[in-house]
Amino acid sequence: MLTIKNLKAGIEDNQILKGINLEIKAGEVHAIMGPNGSGKSTLSAVIAGNEDYEVESGNITFNEEDLLDLSPEERAHKGVFLSFQYPVEIPGISVSNFIKTSINEKRKAQGLDPMPAKDLLKMMKGKMELLDIKKGYLSRNMNEGFSGGEKKRNEIFQMAMLEPKLSILDETDSGLDIDALRIVANGVNKLKSDDNATIVITHYQRLLDYIIPDFVHVLYNGRIIKSGGKELAHELEEKGYDWITKEADKQWA
Amino acid sequence: MGLINNIKSYSETLNLSEEKRGQLNSFLDEGFPTIKDEDWKYTSLKKIITEDFSIENKVGNVSDSDITNHSLGFENQLIFVDGKLISSPKIKGLTIDGFTDFESRNNNAIMNLNASICNNGFSITIDKNIVIEEIIEILFFTTTKNNFSQYRNQITVGENSEIKFVEKIQNLNNSTSFVNYFTQINCDKNTNVEFNKIQNNTSNSILIDNVDVYQKSDSTCAVNTLIFGGNFTRNNLNFEQNGSNCESNMNGVSVLDNNQFADNHTFVDHKSAHCRSNEMYKGVYLGKSKGVFNGKIMVRPNAQKIDAFQSNNNLLLSDDSSIDSKPQLEIYADDVKCSHGCTIGQLDDDALFYMRSRGIGIEEAKAVLTYAFASEAIENISVEPVKLLAQNLLAQKLNVDLDFSL
Ligand SMILES: Nc1ncnc2c1ncn2[C@@H]1O[C@H](COP(=O)(O)OP(=O)(O)OP(=O)(O)O)[C@@H](O)[C@H]1O
Ligand SMILES: [Mg+2]
Repeated sequence: MLTIKNLKAGIEDNQILKGINLEIKAGEVHAIMGPNGSGKSTLSAVIAGNEDYEVESGNITFNEEDLLDLSPEERAHKGVFLSFQYPVEIPGISVSNFIKTSINEKRKAQGLDPMPAKDLLKMMKGKMELLDIKKGYLSRNMNEGFSGGEKKRNEIFQMAMLEPKLSILDETDSGLDIDALRIVANGVNKLKSDDNATIVITHYQRLLDYIIPDFVHVLYNGRIIKSGGKELAHELEEKGYDWITKEADKQWA
Repeated sequence: MGLINNIKSYSETLNLSEEKRGQLNSFLDEGFPTIKDEDWKYTSLKKIITEDFSIENKVGNVSDSDITNHSLGFENQLIFVDGKLISSPKIKGLTIDGFTDFESRNNNAIMNLNASICNNGFSITIDKNIVIEEIIEILFFTTTKNNFSQYRNQITVGENSEIKFVEKIQNLNNSTSFVNYFTQINCDKNTNVEFNKIQNNTSNSILIDNVDVYQKSDSTCAVNTLIFGGNFTRNNLNFEQNGSNCESNMNGVSVLDNNQFADNHTFVDHKSAHCRSNEMYKGVYLGKSKGVFNGKIMVRPNAQKIDAFQSNNNLLLSDDSSIDSKPQLEIYADDVKCSHGCTIGQLDDDALFYMRSRGIGIEEAKAVLTYAFASEAIENISVEPVKLLAQNLLAQKLNVDLDFSL
């Protein structure tokens, strides 16, 4: 579904991603871990099409299509979804109106008519139940004044509504309380299917107890320096990163 | 040639009273304001007044579809065609007349020109103790080409009464038109008045729009100004508070593109204690458009406990657009709360990317953020169809097919 080959990207003169290789198949869950500042959010931003970052070389294909040629909105229409580490407040537009606009813009791109308001509301109601979201949310301005946890839950709510093919969850667990974490993780699991895939970026094993990854990657200093199965996350939880980063430092010095 | 000469020859055909002759002469002596005039520093009429506008009162024809196309379709409409009142509603408690002269206090050149030779307009008187539920829609149509026209209107609202207006000036041909408009609104004690101005005239229309509001105690008056069309717009909006517990509200939304120019000059004269004023102007500038905002707030020596709020926020969506914004506070009382703020900015890139990553196209994302920017002022309008119109015009101006409500 997603193939990243030797991706180098950065901002101005600062190379942040220094050659990323990653292969993700439909139905898989990949966890990306790694120390602060190693480039995890940058990788997500580049996949989603943030034009602040410049791609120097390498390529990303998504379902056989060159992703780097597409605008962020086109990528979204093709099924790429990024749950932001820091969701942005959009004043003046309600959650329901925002989601309605997102869904209908996607439908427009697919040559479909707007979703009838009744169906939309019904769908929202269902997904709100799934994620235990209170009704008042819909009429609030998008993320405005939301608590950290509310913002994260709102990201997953949008994911549930947009039904993406590839979801990238950038530290969705940070800011969630213990109950919310379980609810959100359950929600993500329910949305999982054989033809979508998930990238979970996290610092903690805890989330991976709920969303069980098929692969775990360690991103460090712009490179994936180690990949393994779900047991790698446990090992990292126990030992930290030192034992692999030291070696990497030596190799790339 | 030139507007002043045409005004001169036109005035010779009129039988003016001595007073009006005096007003005309003082206009002719002074001429139109120039950029040397502090109040017109950024706003030049120089080129406009060299044009050969005609000042005749020939009345043309307006079809039903013109009216439907250019109105919000309220049941109660006052319709003017080339200055002549051709239709007016009958509502209990309202007295509506055509042009009825009255004295105005403002005597600058523009107002003298209006006072001296204008003979078109309306007079609306609202009885005491009556709430007019129906919206009164006022439409001024121009059919004559290259026309200079003036309106001189008065609204007098009796004690404890309430009323709402929607107004539009519409040129029905593609020629340049120039309107010098004046309305005086007299709000008696404990009245509530809302006046909505939809300034969406054709792209070569010139408008000088003057409104003077006089308020007595416990009255609330809002004047909302939506500028989407026109080539050149100058609004002079003045409030004078005489009596305690008055509230003066102003909301403005300008969305301009191409070479459009719009200037909002406001003045609130707080003459009495325990009063409020709220002023919120939002400007969105595309293309080579240009805006001016000048908000003057005067608090007189005995006007204690005044709460005056003013904000002017501007969004420059192109490199070639510009705005000159100036608050002007003159405060002579010591126990007042006065806040003002002016911002000039661009759209937030993070918000744009966030929306695009959710599938919202860049133009749509810009439009949503622009709407969000302007919505605070639009939301203050209580007449629902005016709000909707503002949303639609904004979407149209930004070239997107979106509706902003759910
Ligand atoms: N817009 C930017 N401008 C300048 N530097 C940037 C920008 N974005 C990222 N960086 C830098 O690139 C590096 C990687 O940042 P990134 O946010 O991708 O890290 P991360 O792995 O997500 O970290 P964390 O675990 O703290 O979220 C950091 O050193 C960061 O300062
Ligand atoms: Mg990060």
